[in-house]
Parts: sequence; C-alpha cells; structure tokens
Amino acid sequence: MLSDKRATLAQYAYIQTKRLKVLHYFFPERTEYPRDPRFKSAIYDIEFNKIFSLNEMERVDFDEEIYVENGYIHFVKGLDTYYLGTRYLVIEVKDDGEWLVQIWKDIALYGAIAFILFLLFGLYLAKLFLKPMRDSIMLLDRFIKDTTHELNTPLSAILANIEMMDTDVMVEKNKKKLDRINIAAKTVSTLYKDLTYLTLEQEKQNEDEVLDIKEIIKDRVEYFDILARSKQITFQLSLTDATIVMDRRKFTRVIDNLISNAIKYNKRNGEIRIVLERNRLTVSDTGIGIAEEKIPFMFDRYLRFNSSEGGFGVGLSIVKKILDEYNIAISVESKEGKGTRMVILWND
Amino acid sequence: MERLITKLLLVSILAGSSVMAQNIYERNCVPCHKDLPTSLGQMFKEYLLIYSSEKFVKAGIKHYLRNPSKSISVMSDLFIDTYGIKKKTTLSPEELDEAIDIYWEKFKVFDKLK
Repeated sequence: MLSDKRATLAQYAYIQTKRLKVLHYFFPERTEYPRDPRFKSAIYDIEFNKIFSLNEMERVDFDEEIYVENGYIHFVKGLDTYYLGTRYLVIEVKDDGEWLVQIWKDIALYGAIAFILFLLFGLYLAKLFLKPMRDSIMLLDRFIKDTTHELNTPLSAILANIEMMDTDVMVEKNKKKLDRINIAAKTVSTLYKDLTYLTLEQEKQNEDEVLDIKEIIKDRVEYFDILARSKQITFQLSLTDATIVMDRRKFTRVIDNLISNAIKYNKRNGEIRIVLERNRLTVSDTGIGIAEEKIPFMFDRYLRFNSSEGGFGVGLSIVKKILDEYNIAISVESKEGKGTRMVILWND
Repeated sequence: MERLITKLLLVSILAGSSVMAQNIYERNCVPCHKDLPTSLGQMFKEYLLIYSSEKFVKAGIKHYLRNPSKSISVMSDLFIDTYGIKKKTTLSPEELDEAIDIYWEKFKVFDKLK
C-alpha cells in the first residue's frame, strides 16, 4: 500500500547514506549532521542505540521496513557499511494521506477498467451464445418477408372470384365445397395481412381518424362468420355506439386477431361474445383457455401454446404492439377448458 | 655542586610527575601510534565501520590487542604489509579495559554530532 512512498523514501535513504559516508570520513573535523528539507532522519547503531536523531518520533519499530505512526511515515533502512557506526538509518516524513487518496483513485480506475473489460467480454459471450437464436429468428423474418410479398396476387384473385361466383346455380354439394374454399382463403388472407403488417406496413405513417367501432366490428364479424360457422360457433354481440381515434388499418388488425383467435381456439358449437361499451371492448370465447402462468407470455412473438392450430404465433404480438403504440390497455382472463376473455380499455 | 644536584632532582621530579599525569591509554597506546601515518582517530573510525556499537567496538579492539593478526585487523592489507602486526599486549585485562574505555570516550561519535 505504501509502495509509491517506499520508492521515494528509499531514494531519500540512499541520498542520506551518501552524506553519512562523507561525514564519516571528515569526522570529527566536521560534526554537523546532514539535513534535508524533504525529510528528517535518525541513525542507530547495531544495538539499536540512538547515535543522532532529528526525527519527531523517538520510538522506532526496527522490525518493520515502512510504517505509519502518529501521522508520520517511517522508513527503516539497514546499512551494510556502518558509517559513524550507523547500522540503521530511519527516514521520517509527514504522512499527508496523498498515498491513500492515490490508492483509492487507483482502485477506482483499475476497477472501472476491469468492470468495462468484463462487461465487454460478457457482451461478447452473450452475443456468441445468442447468435444461433438470432440467426433463426432472422431466417424466419426473411422467409416471411420474401413469401408474403408473392402471396397477395393469387390470394386476392381467389377471394374476388369466390365473391363473384353465382351460388344460385350451384348444386348443394358444390356450395359446400365453395364455402370450404372461402374459409381456407380467408384464413390465409388473415395470416397474410398479419405478416405483411409485421414485415412491410408497420413502419408506415399512421393515418389516425375517428373510427366507428360498432361498424368495424359488425363488418369483421361478417367477414369471419363463415369461418365461425365451419366450427358451429355463434357470435353474441352486444354493441353500443363507441368511437376511437386510431389508424383504421391497425384497429382492424387488432379486431381481426382477437376474433380469429377466438374462433381458432374455440370448441365446436362454442360461442364468441363481443361486448362493446363506451371505452371498453370485451371479446370472450368458450374455448380451451390457457394456463394462468402462461398469460404473461401470450404476447410474445412466435409463441404458440397450441401447435394443433395453424399460424406463426404473430397475431397477439401484433395486437400488443399496436395497442402499446396508442397507450391502450389490454387484459386477459383465462381458465383452462372454460375460455378466454380479452378486455381492451381506452381513454376517450 | 649542591645547586646542580638540586636542579637535577627538580627536573627528575617534574619529568616523573608528568609521566604519572598521563593515563594508561596515553602511556601505552599513543607513543607507538604517533609514528604511524594513520592516526588513532582514523583507526577508531575503521572499527566503527565494522563493529558499529560501543560493545562490539570495544570487544573487537580487545580481541585484536590480545591476538593481533592480519586476518582480523581492521586496517588494509597495504598498511599491515608496510607497518606489520603489533606485538601482543602486555597489559592486564583491567588495564586493557581501562585503556579501551578511554579510547572510546575520546573518539566516540555519541553526543558529538549537532
């Protein structure tokens, strides 16, 4: 701890030894003990008897090479040649505490450097370990980006042509087949919209407007009706007039995802209940529900709790992202085997 | 004639009293050393260089005076080769101690530095 001071004091001791050597050869013609403004000193013989001393502290600890006592640092140097009989030379300087401050500074400095190095090393290791995971997510993202772009045209053609078909002239058997095609196409279309939203559209500027929620819900329920009917699911609507200021495209994605999830994870002959109040929307289903401990992870991207259903697991992450953007709260209540209830709350 | 005898007697008394006035160190050490180029003071410092403290210096001198030899001398080889080794002391142990004590008191460093 006194290593810096030790070097200085050793230097003083060396200087004083040289002066003692000179005095030794000129003694007794010269008898003035050498003095230095930087330090005080004392000389002792081999039996620890004091020969001469200028030091403030009389007591000397000859077992220590360097020590601090009563605010003075002492450095004890043993001489090999006993000039004037001097076996021990004791150098004394006032302890200004500078060395202690320096030690704390050094600890802080080297500690900070070590901390930064470990931090960088830790980051490097974390990056190294997370690389495979990041690579697979990026691969999935890139795949989705590439494929979604090419899906739009054929999907639009299928849906448009289904709408245009004259079902009156169709036999019942073909009508059912057409319905199935319609359901399949709409499922793909919902998925397509989610994916394009994630990969291409989410960076677009918002075009906020006052939306008539009741109107939009009715429209989307009608759109998904054929999907719901395929599982004999019925909608129970209780809608009051309500508005929200939001981008229509984004709000539609929220409603679509809530409804499509309610259908997807519902039982056959189940029910979907949509209740719209002034600043509150509730979508409940009678489906499989999810375990309470899994609820916090529901909005994570690519996470699906039930692999029996299709999808990429991006739906609810989109919902959460959009609602967070508009500071809208969403809460989930679910009981396994009984159903799930999603509640959206917004400010007027 | 009587006057001459009186004078001689006076001179011999004076000479005898002056010899008696000298201490054992001055009588036994100084006469031989005064012809050497290295003074007793210089030799004392040679002892200090090697033995450091009063006890060790006195023991060193005593041992050398009783058993003088080139190998334990504090003086240089050149000095010894030139002036030789002294003869063994004939003083009694008490006389030797006294002479050495006087020598120490005369040349010691203690209380002389300022």
